[in-house]
Amino acid sequence: MYVSPIREPLIRGEKNYSQVTKDILAPMAGKPSKYWYMGMTLSSAALVFGAWATFMTIYYGIGTWGLNKTVGWGWGITNFVWWVGIGHAGTFISAILLLFRQKWRTSINRSAEAMTLIAIACAGFFPLIHMGRLLLGFFIFPYPNTRELWVNFNSPLLWDVFAISTYFLVSLIFWYVGLIPDLGTVRDKAKTKIRKAIYGFLSFGWTGSVKQWSRHETVSLILAGLAAPLVLSVHTIVSFDFATSVIPGWHTTIFPPYFVSGAVFSGFAMVLTLLIVARKALNLEEYITVNHIESMNKVIILTGSIVGIAYITEFFMAWYSGVEYEQYAFLNRAFGPYAWAYWIMMTCNVVTPQLFWFKKIRTSLVATFIISIFVNIGMWFERFVIVVTSLHRDYLPSSWVMYSPSLVEVGLYVGTLGLFFTLFLLFIRVFPVIAIAEVKSVLKSSGDHKKTAHHE
Amino acid sequence: MENNMFKLTKKLQTIGFAMVAIGLLALAYGFIAGLGGDRIIANLHLNGFYFMSLGLIGMFFVAVHAIAESGWQVSMQRVGEAMSYFIPVGGIIMLLVFLFGGMHHLFEWTDEAHLDRILLGKVAYLNQPFFYIRFAVFFAGWILLAWMIRKTSRELDINGDKKYFNKLRKYSAFYVVFLAITSVISSWDWLMSIDAHWFSTLYGWYVFSSMLVTGFSVIVIFTFVLKKMGYMQHVNDEHIHDMAKYMFGLSIFWAYLWFSQYMLIWYANIPEETIYFYERLKYFDTIFYMNLIVNFAIPFLLLMTRNSKRVFWVVVPVAVIIFIGHWIDLYQLIMPGAVGHEAAGIGFLEIGLTIGFIGLFMLVTFYGLSKAPLVPKNHPFYEESLHYHTNY
Amino acid sequence: MNNSYITAYYYDEEELLEGIRQIKEKGVEILDVMTPFPVHGLDKAIGLRRSRLTRVAFWGGTIGALIGFLFQAWVFTQAYVINFGGKPFFAVPSFMPVTFEMAVLFSAFSMVLAFLIYFKLGPGAKPIIYDERSTDDRFLLIVKAGDADETKNIEKALSQAGAEGIKHKA
Repeated sequence: MYVSPIREPLIRGEKNYSQVTKDILAPMAGKPSKYWYMGMTLSSAALVFGAWATFMTIYYGIGTWGLNKTVGWGWGITNFVWWVGIGHAGTFISAILLLFRQKWRTSINRSAEAMTLIAIACAGFFPLIHMGRLLLGFFIFPYPNTRELWVNFNSPLLWDVFAISTYFLVSLIFWYVGLIPDLGTVRDKAKTKIRKAIYGFLSFGWTGSVKQWSRHETVSLILAGLAAPLVLSVHTIVSFDFATSVIPGWHTTIFPPYFVSGAVFSGFAMVLTLLIVARKALNLEEYITVNHIESMNKVIILTGSIVGIAYITEFFMAWYSGVEYEQYAFLNRAFGPYAWAYWIMMTCNVVTPQLFWFKKIRTSLVATFIISIFVNIGMWFERFVIVVTSLHRDYLPSSWVMYSPSLVEVGLYVGTLGLFFTLFLLFIRVFPVIAIAEVKSVLKSSGDHKKTAHHE
Repeated sequence: MENNMFKLTKKLQTIGFAMVAIGLLALAYGFIAGLGGDRIIANLHLNGFYFMSLGLIGMFFVAVHAIAESGWQVSMQRVGEAMSYFIPVGGIIMLLVFLFGGMHHLFEWTDEAHLDRILLGKVAYLNQPFFYIRFAVFFAGWILLAWMIRKTSRELDINGDKKYFNKLRKYSAFYVVFLAITSVISSWDWLMSIDAHWFSTLYGWYVFSSMLVTGFSVIVIFTFVLKKMGYMQHVNDEHIHDMAKYMFGLSIFWAYLWFSQYMLIWYANIPEETIYFYERLKYFDTIFYMNLIVNFAIPFLLLMTRNSKRVFWVVVPVAVIIFIGHWIDLYQLIMPGAVGHEAAGIGFLEIGLTIGFIGLFMLVTFYGLSKAPLVPKNHPFYEESLHYHTNY
Repeated sequence: MNNSYITAYYYDEEELLEGIRQIKEKGVEILDVMTPFPVHGLDKAIGLRRSRLTRVAFWGGTIGALIGFLFQAWVFTQAYVINFGGKPFFAVPSFMPVTFEMAVLFSAFSMVLAFLIYFKLGPGAKPIIYDERSTDDRFLLIVKAGDADETKNIEKALSQAGAEGIKHKA
């Protein structure tokens, strides 16, 4: 396929196919580095903290949280939405960028999808633990129980059950179908018998014959076509949790697209945070180049600006609507007791990403890393602001209260962070972090040489 | 060697002016038959906005692809550029409508003596001077940026220097950002404030998605017409495939926004909000359901398979259906509030006037096409657009 | 029945496509091609028809949507009728999210299962691996061999078409 000479190459270092295999498989071989162990220790420690908090919650009940009668949803739901949002980048990169034929996705889609799966697992933990009685969690599924009562299909919380589980399952098969050919490569490159047996088992008997590849491409494309509306639907349905209510600040029609945009925004920020470190640690700088970072930063500007427009629209409409409760809710957000959270949100989500309009900043790794952290923080506060400031001063001034989290709630959040990083660190040891076959398929058109040299 | 310069022939001019004449006739009929100022003005407003927004999307098509650095659309981008010539024309029509009775007939908030408590609360935004200031800012920005993009695109065509390409991208970014903000605010001004008490935060994006899918469909229609006339032979089923994907995807996106807005208002069941859909479901039920079938079900079913997306004879009829469908969408946004169910209707006035506007839009776009080579041969991505394959 | 075949490989996908064109002209029957990544245009060169998996996805999705919608409708209008906040029992807008999710779920799973079953792919499947390097950087070509003379001619044709590592296996 013809590629204009003014396009920048995506993969550096004049690679040929066997080098690509070697470079990408390198992090899986040998002993893990010192940094890996350090990361693992830190995240396992966080995980242990989380395990303690989980124990406390289950043993003593939800009373160990800082929730009260007015603020019935606090950190738990904030974290849930935050993690679901982060889980949006992977499928967005793989599905929507695949449909738009953006070649730069090939270097980052695999790890972003893994991140998606882990993030959804973290997210799913919060509604489950918030039930208090974890063992009765299966009540949320429609099954013929002894009371002949079905679940409430009118409830957005039930839609969530369907949306999140479908999203997890479809993302899982999407990710795994993409992994199969690469696992075949790992199998064929394996040096030891055990390794060969394990990856042979995992690779499902892939051979890479022409028909397999052809059908594999069809499957990937249709899964992408299915995942694209799916990824929109998930955060849409999460936003319905709030927007179907009549609580000022929650009931607003812009929520669905605005949540989706915010989700992609925070997801990309998390991908950037992880990959800027990973590319360095795993020596993959020639595959995940500054061009990739720049492209992701452009998505951050786009989605960040959409979120910004949504904030302003909401604020304006609250005034324009003439509904005094709505007006008060927004004034309370911006100037009430939680104003600090609101302004952190505004600064991190609306102001800092705009710095990416400057090419210097958008191509600087340090600046990108810092801003990506800002966005992660900002998007957490967005959910906190929506949940807590709308609830803590409701229609009855006599029940106005403040809310602050207990140590157990903090522990649960830190615990999921630990879970996230632990699983991600395991992932980079067990699976190829970059889609080998996909990178090879764009190598010729997007590598920095036009002809693959013969070797041997 | 195919002809790269489009010529606005006598025959095309005759057709165009004949259509405009039908439009004028319909307008005259409206006055003679005594259809009422509300209905005539609302129709002029509907068409003025509808076709002006097609111009905006024509330029958006160019700009958004310039920012995304995609290559395939280059061979069709002149169509989008030509459509943007209609922005000032549509602007003048809208301004004339507002100046000569439009404000009074369309917007109840202009009746300052009879404002209720809610509307009094909105006076800081909904007042005539501020309304006209916003109008001026929108059009000044749109016209200026569209002109700059067209100019840069032509300079790029003459010498193909990368400098101009970067300039094109910069202006395109300005245009997209400006349009993102103004399209939302303008839809509040010109459409949402017709039902002055009602509000919905999603409204602006809903209107924009409707504009977007129509604009892209109209680009397809123009490309097809040009191809039939013997121009732009390099546009093949690969390009049409991608345009059809846009039409398919954006129709779903539109339906998604429609559902989000409708469902949330239905679910929360707050009278101030549900009144909007109550009116439409009670008195405009045919239009209401047709809107969904024509704009979602038909494109979704007809453009689902790969093969149908690659055939002009499927894609172009669907594009025409979408074009009509979103006219209906706009009709149900404007008419219940501006005219009311007793006086509104679809007759010779509506159809004839729309034909007139189609004629005018055609003339302006063809004029725009004749101003520059149809294919920007020196565009850095031109070659990519020629050797372009979509596998799926 | 002659089961013998010849394997040969290329280092480059464009050379592979060109080579396939040349040996096909000479009437050599290609049994299979193994490549490290999907090569654009190879399915056409081999003469594969378009996939029918799209139909599986479509019908899977349709069935999923129907199950999702009808089940909810049955629960709310037949099985256990409860008034939820004054909403109609047959609350179509409320049914949409679950209907959609079920459609996607069924569509995706039916298609992927069809794909796996068709190729007999699954945990622990034991494939015949002709050359381990074909998942790394070799574009492996497997052609049908004939009797001794024919095989010689085919091998010659292969080497003329630029293939390397030509091996005959009975």
